[in-house]
Amino acid sequence: MSRSLRIRLLTGIIGGMILLLTLFSLLIYIVIRSTLIKQFDKSLASVAQILAASVEIDVNEIEFEFEVQQMPEFLNSDHPTHYQLWDPNGTVISKSPLLGADNLLRLEGTLNALVFDTSRNNNGQPLRTISLKFLPRLADNNEKNKNEAQKDYRSPENKQEFTLAVARDAGDLYGQLGFLRWLLLIASAAVIALSFILAAVIVKKGLRPLNSIAAEIATIKEDSLTTRITTEDVPTEVVQIKNRLNELLSRLEASFNRERQFNADVAHELRTPLSGLRSTIEVTLTRTRDNDEYKRVLFECEAIVENMQTMVGNLLMLSRLDAKQISFQTEQIRLAELVNSCWQQFSDKALERQITFDNSIEAEYMCESDRHNLSIVLSNILANAVEYTDEGGQIRTTACSKDGSMEIAVSNTGCQLTTEQLSQVFDCFWRGDLSRSDTGTHCGLGLALVQKLIRALGGNAFAELQPGGIFVVRITLPE
Amino acid sequence: MRLLIIEDYRPLQQSLTKGLREAGFAVDTTRDGKEGLWYAMGNEYDVIILDLMLPGMDGLEILKKIRTQGRKSHVLILTARDTVQDRVTGLNLGADDYLVKPFAFKELLARVHALLRRGYRQKNPRIKVKDLKIDLSRQRVCRGKKEIQLTPREYALLEYLAMRLGQTISRTDIWEHIYDFNSSASSNVVDVYIGYLRKKIEQPNKPRLIHTIRGRGYVLGVQS
Repeated sequence: MSRSLRIRLLTGIIGGMILLLTLFSLLIYIVIRSTLIKQFDKSLASVAQILAASVEIDVNEIEFEFEVQQMPEFLNSDHPTHYQLWDPNGTVISKSPLLGADNLLRLEGTLNALVFDTSRNNNGQPLRTISLKFLPRLADNNEKNKNEAQKDYRSPENKQEFTLAVARDAGDLYGQLGFLRWLLLIASAAVIALSFILAAVIVKKGLRPLNSIAAEIATIKEDSLTTRITTEDVPTEVVQIKNRLNELLSRLEASFNRERQFNADVAHELRTPLSGLRSTIEVTLTRTRDNDEYKRVLFECEAIVENMQTMVGNLLMLSRLDAKQISFQTEQIRLAELVNSCWQQFSDKALERQITFDNSIEAEYMCESDRHNLSIVLSNILANAVEYTDEGGQIRTTACSKDGSMEIAVSNTGCQLTTEQLSQVFDCFWRGDLSRSDTGTHCGLGLALVQKLIRALGGNAFAELQPGGIFVVRITLPE
Repeated sequence: MRLLIIEDYRPLQQSLTKGLREAGFAVDTTRDGKEGLWYAMGNEYDVIILDLMLPGMDGLEILKKIRTQGRKSHVLILTARDTVQDRVTGLNLGADDYLVKPFAFKELLARVHALLRRGYRQKNPRIKVKDLKIDLSRQRVCRGKKEIQLTPREYALLEYLAMRLGQTISRTDIWEHIYDFNSSASSNVVDVYIGYLRKKIEQPNKPRLIHTIRGRGYVLGVQS
């Protein structure tokens, strides 16, 4: 459907006009035509009836009572009326002098059921003919039986019907009807042509708000997403489109802003360790130092690079998750075992800070998921827990089946978040506790990755705060 | 010259402190915003190097407090935020310079020197007192044609005297600008270092350049 709205509207309007005008013209024509013909026929019928009534039968002779031949309408050669009379055997008894050698149509009509027909005479003029059979009147006559040999039309066996045909030139009638046809055709064509022009103007005017909105949309570029379509005075149908468009723009703007903020955050988070790296190296190079010092500086740099690598890895994973480029291989996993293996990397740090770890998941508890990615999820939650648990605190993991899904909970003590902050823990680059001096080691991607990854695995992640400063991350997985 | 570094990223904080100390500055350093503010309020630092995103207290908040309290220290903002708006906000709040991470240590050093000269109205990085020449940017000192080798502490002392050329400077002032917070030295040590400096700078048949003003302090310059 690539046709423009304008052309569609115009075709609709003009098509409808043509259809309606054709129907109306046809209707008008049919009504007028039948009325005119009915009138014509009526006068023809009355002439025929008069003629039929004036036919008299003598014993052997048939004649018109009046001198019909002399009636002016039978003599007018411009628009002549003709008659012709047949006896029951079909022999022509009498006919108009004007007919000459021509014959009229002999049709099977009666007085009660008149039959009409139109034919053309030798000159090509239309001729409307009425024909009827009738029993002629008997002449009131005392001369009888002059000649017995003559046919006695009056004898009962001869009581047969005569046929009379009367025809009149219908040239005027058909001429009028032809004129009517042309009139209707030309009038319709003119109306259609005028309405085309009018419709074009109306459609153009009607579509103007759309054009102005389109012009406004055309000015919106990706760096001007804050603008909204402000065209006032738009028709109600377009108001909806305008509002939806503005909503779409708002969503686009928000998403662009998120993207921009994310990029700025990424740049910021990468710049910090880079500046540490650069400054460490440059300061070291300002003078000659002993081997031990070089070694120490290299270890420092290595640690910075490792942190940067983790962060870049997390960022890459996040963007792959967004682009749905990660494939999963599910298998049966002993959950308790997986949690313990994830914990190993943090056990030293936990020991250092006297944090106790309690894995309360039953050894036999099985779950079906992607081992590698689930371990990334668990490691990130545990890393977060180890980081924020108070010294001497506790980290606890539990698992249970619930409503057809499996739930794993990791809780740690010593949480200082407020309920308002809780909704932000899964945001990228959000760090709950700014009073901790660990910039560069944790950039606030861990839990964001957890949520994205667990959703990609078909589950979800929630954070909650329990009384006593206990922070719980719950992840659900389909069973 | 005494500096304060408020920077929460440990590797950067440590390397900056080390580099600036090696460049002859007395450096105090902290990774916490509130602690940074406490340092800045309690001492007359020549330059404060300030990160913006800090635990405890935001860098801009610290800057605002320093300025409303009328502290004259020069503030150099050191941050990963690089938008024009960020720079403008920082400078408008009273910062004197703005450096975006990552940066070259040499540039930071040059900017710190520039801020110091500005602070003591010394536009020229080569200060001359009679035939004593002090090159502030290269940290070299000559008397006549002969270069004089100074220890970092001696150089810092001479630099401070040279920055306030012709002004009488009290022992406490000197002590505060030459020694950092953790130094255990007392202001008496200033007299000792003035003595060391005199030994290296003064020459027998040339006019004295470092003078003692009794009860008030020292002055570098030509006494009329």
